[in-house]
Amino acid sequence: MSDVKVYDSDVKLVPVISQMRAIWENRGLLSLLVRRDLTVRYKRSIIGIWWSLLNPLFTTAVMYYVFNTVFKSRLPGGAPFLPYLLSGVLLMAFFNQGLTMGADSVATGAGVLTKVYVRPEIFAASSAISSAINFLIGMIPMTAVLLIAKERPGFASPLVLVVILCMTLFVTGLALLLSIAYINFDDSRSLITIFLMALQYMTPVFYPISVLGPHTKRVIMLNPLTSYLDVFRSVYGGGAVVTWHEWAMMIASAICAFVVGFWVFIRKWPGLVSKL
Amino acid sequence: MSEQKIVDVSNVSMSYRRTRHRVSSLKQTAIDTINRRLSYEQFFALRDVSFEINRGETVAVIGRNGAGKSTLLKVVARVLPPTSGRVIVRGDVAPMIELGAGFNPELTGAENIMLYGTLLGRTPQQMQNRIEAIADWAGLSEHMDIPIRAYSSGMTARLAFATATDTTPDLLLIDEILSVGDEDFKDKSKARTIEMMNSGCAVLLVTHDLTAVTSMSSRAIYLENGSSKSTGKPEDVVASYLDDVHH
Repeated sequence: MSDVKVYDSDVKLVPVISQMRAIWENRGLLSLLVRRDLTVRYKRSIIGIWWSLLNPLFTTAVMYYVFNTVFKSRLPGGAPFLPYLLSGVLLMAFFNQGLTMGADSVATGAGVLTKVYVRPEIFAASSAISSAINFLIGMIPMTAVLLIAKERPGFASPLVLVVILCMTLFVTGLALLLSIAYINFDDSRSLITIFLMALQYMTPVFYPISVLGPHTKRVIMLNPLTSYLDVFRSVYGGGAVVTWHEWAMMIASAICAFVVGFWVFIRKWPGLVSKL
Repeated sequence: MSEQKIVDVSNVSMSYRRTRHRVSSLKQTAIDTINRRLSYEQFFALRDVSFEINRGETVAVIGRNGAGKSTLLKVVARVLPPTSGRVIVRGDVAPMIELGAGFNPELTGAENIMLYGTLLGRTPQQMQNRIEAIADWAGLSEHMDIPIRAYSSGMTARLAFATATDTTPDLLLIDEILSVGDEDFKDKSKARTIEMMNSGCAVLLVTHDLTAVTSMSSRAIYLENGSSKSTGKPEDVVASYLDDVHH
């Protein structure tokens, strides 16, 4: 009788460790949830996949026109602007999507989460993973743009996987924190849209860091997303020089967001589930 | 013989702190905080409830709306951790509560069976082997490859019921005995529920159907304002409930 599942409410869950174990034990469910997200988004067709690329590509085209043609901005050393811009747009889409979808899937998972015992962290993780897959698909046109610009993904390009892993952890942790706000306050969704827009401007998506004054530069460098973007551009292409300091910032922010997000969430969840 | 005891609920209380006006927007919270109008009250959904269910027993919970019956089901289902007291549940739990939560309209029937069954705690491998049998039982074998947004509501309900009741658990949680679909399927689903209840598992049944309580349960609990007002033989408990209702 040793394999009988026993639930004892006196056995307390250990933050982060219990949650990660739950995700691991339910990896079958996790992969089904990822497949659900992708099926719903791509509608089982190649056109569906291309369709979902239209958004980042179109955004890039508009920004390219505005900043390259209208404002005539130039990157230092005459580096091509298009790969620089596209890499920024794709990475921001990864972040925005993973964050809002993750928080949404926890907050709107009420139908399931109030009836069946499933750790909600699995929902946040699945959204982050499907956004990562979306990002990987976005790297196809990104690679094409690089080749056209006669840049080539270098030997360091497999390190992109480290960026993706870090971003997945970062986004999962933040999505859990955001879901707490979503559940508590109906109007937090509109506030987060404004916040994400501000964050977009505070990340060097379409301007080079070198044009900034010393004070602004310090602020922008404190934004963890800047480190993700710089690392991504330096290992894959898009033109950026990265310091070890930014690598450290990226990895540390990923671990911090993940641990803090899981920690706070497990404390808050019993109070939240009664509100759902 | 301790393995026979499937559910052990001892001195369980559930309380929440909730705002008096049930505020749910940041704007309102900010306004109320500044005006010092934000006040909380402690609300007890369950107060010191204890009971056990052994294998093969059916325990029925009755009471008025808002008496804490659904909260009790959720506490036993592990969804809500108790504020105080202790809950122990041994074995697999099948919650038959609002079936079909987690269905996605864009996924096909087969994909929804997989996802829903896995959400209910079974493994994808187990589900893979059961898709055909479930579809067959629901009478939907020909509709497995189309998205369920094309299903009628009756078809969706049949699919949910068939998936939820495919395995026999150690503990069955029932929020009203369901009968879904058209006349034929209603009989079939009701028969299946009763078959599951009689299969030797433990059952926690929340219902307003007092005849079902006296005919099907071994014991009953009458909840009022979160406390158990009387427990024991179903006839007696139903009688004391009816007594209160008529006064």
